[in-house]
Amino acid sequence: MISISHLRKNFGDLAAVDDLSLTINHGEILGLLGPNGAGKTTTIRMLCDLLERDGGEIHWETTGELSEIIGFCSQENLYWPRLTCREQLVFLGTMHKMSAAAAHSRAIELLNMLGLAGKTDVYAAKLSGGMQRRLNIALALIHDPPVLILDEPEAGLDPQSRILVRDLIRSLARQKTVIITTHNMDEAERLSDRVAIIDHGKLLEVGSVDSLKQSLGSGDCLECRFETDLGYLLTEKSSPATQFIEAISSLGLATDTISVVQDKLLIRSFQHLEKLSALTDLAKMQGLEIQDIQLRKTTLEDVFINLTGRALRE
Amino acid sequence: MIWAIFIKSIKEQLRNFWILILTVSMAPFFVFVYFLINEASQPHYRALIVNQDQGVTVQDEQINIGSALLPGFQEYIDSMENIPLSIRSAGSRAAAIKKIETRKADVLLVIPAHFSQALLSEATHTPELEIVGNLTSTGYLISAVWVGEMLNEFMAQQTGQERLFTVKETALGLSGQIDEFEIWVPGILILSIIMLMFSATIAIIVEVDQGTILRMKLSGMRAWQFLVGVGSSQMLVGIIAIFLTLAAATSLGFEMRGSFWSFLLITVLTSISMIAFSLILAAVTRSVTDVLVVGNFPLFLFMFFSGAAFPISPQAWFYLGDYGVSWQTLMSAAPAISALQKTSIMGVGLADVGGELLALVFMTAIYFAIGLWGFQRRHLRTK
Repeated sequence: MISISHLRKNFGDLAAVDDLSLTINHGEILGLLGPNGAGKTTTIRMLCDLLERDGGEIHWETTGELSEIIGFCSQENLYWPRLTCREQLVFLGTMHKMSAAAAHSRAIELLNMLGLAGKTDVYAAKLSGGMQRRLNIALALIHDPPVLILDEPEAGLDPQSRILVRDLIRSLARQKTVIITTHNMDEAERLSDRVAIIDHGKLLEVGSVDSLKQSLGSGDCLECRFETDLGYLLTEKSSPATQFIEAISSLGLATDTISVVQDKLLIRSFQHLEKLSALTDLAKMQGLEIQDIQLRKTTLEDVFINLTGRALRE
Repeated sequence: MIWAIFIKSIKEQLRNFWILILTVSMAPFFVFVYFLINEASQPHYRALIVNQDQGVTVQDEQINIGSALLPGFQEYIDSMENIPLSIRSAGSRAAAIKKIETRKADVLLVIPAHFSQALLSEATHTPELEIVGNLTSTGYLISAVWVGEMLNEFMAQQTGQERLFTVKETALGLSGQIDEFEIWVPGILILSIIMLMFSATIAIIVEVDQGTILRMKLSGMRAWQFLVGVGSSQMLVGIIAIFLTLAAATSLGFEMRGSFWSFLLITVLTSISMIAFSLILAAVTRSVTDVLVVGNFPLFLFMFFSGAAFPISPQAWFYLGDYGVSWQTLMSAAPAISALQKTSIMGVGLADVGGELLALVFMTAIYFAIGLWGFQRRHLRTK
């Protein structure tokens, strides 16, 4: 178990990580989600002791040197281009105080696990992008660390490699603690046992994917796309769009959330199907033409956007 | 861990062979360049003889003293060491003058038609020999003096006259034993080590450039372990460069007069010093491209102001033994060159270059301290 309490890091006036507390259990995969500049990388770097913290505590249940506890796979592929796959794995294993023989057998094991068995004696520079990514993961695993931190592990991978890496991470999670940082909601949803959403250095929400979705409200999501820019029309008082939104409540929909983004209207509610024709009639009455209607499950992205907003980040 | 870094660094050096080739070949290349410059700048004087002597017949025997002059002169030249003078016969006075005018010869000696007759007749008739040349040319002046001296020597031999005096030549310093090329060699040997500046800095900074320093940091590696590992591999490159340079110099006539172990000690210490300096360079750069641009500044300073490329003797601030410490000492190559010149050319022992060695070790320690602090602060700190 890793226990993070009141972690803080400032860069000048900017609070990159602001009183962040989080517990990561042994054997679970925690997805760390957040927009650019949210503080994910800063948190990870403090976990790896690559960055000094300004405050807070990090408690590791596993004893030993941090270099032996953590395996870190960065977003960029960090490898030695002029060493073969095996040479660099053995080299890094030796750096982690493994014997040459142990490092060698572990290297072969990892190359097999990551589908690089045929590339053992190939220079890393000559591998394809996907293979280099897998080699990057192998390098993080060479010393068999109990905690694995993966920064965007599926970035730059083709679908086949993605499945292979995903299966590998799942299998590793049986014995290890895995922390994944990602922008990819699908990746987080498929892999994570729990997801922690952070923004502006603060932890906004943490929980299982299902519980996070539940926190948004019950029911499915109805997404209507209009011909006109509904969001723009809503800025005008007494516009057809404003009257339409006001009239939706008269339909008796048990709505938890109604949101408008440009030409999209999102309603999260039960009873959509029964009220669908009434909704379309209401739109017609206001002269708004619906271009497309979609009924779907609430996604992690809905949760993410709901928590972090739509404003673009630097 | 250090051994693993050393082996990895060696592999990378061999696989990235262009930088390795640049490092080990530059100084041997300079040896050839200096040799060629030295050869081209060595003075050589050319004298011509036109023998118009018709000779005389004495008791049915044809005697021509003028024709014996050329072999006599040649014998004189051969008997002396290092006379940069050659002497040849010319067909006619006009052809010889043409050669002087076109700077293919420096002086012409014309033996008159009745030279033998005048010498062998009992009449007091003095033969007149003519020396022709451009009087404003230094080449003519030197050649004319030699020709005059050889002529006197020849005539003394021919006439059996005793010389009233002999002249003994004493060479000052090493001027009688070595030529200018040999004086340059210690500087070029140190230049081969100065070239380590690039390969050592690149070997360090490449880890920063490709981000792999992060992996090494995460392995719990300490800065000194990394630097000792990479530095050892560079030391090997430095030693290869030194021996290639020494082999090139030896093949072109350089003769090492001092102890081999003194030579090895000085060059190894200089290599350590340059690796330490590379740390400073690594601390102020972030990529291989940076090194190739920024590195030229210290390279030029070390190359041209330490005495490696040409001698500079600045005013000494104070003395360590015989060695005068000056601004030049800030470049550790300067005391190294001085030490190497004294040991490998003058053949002195290590005790006689104590001042140089002290200055070299002191500057190396300063480089290491600054480099390690800077490298840790720039590339390894966790703030």
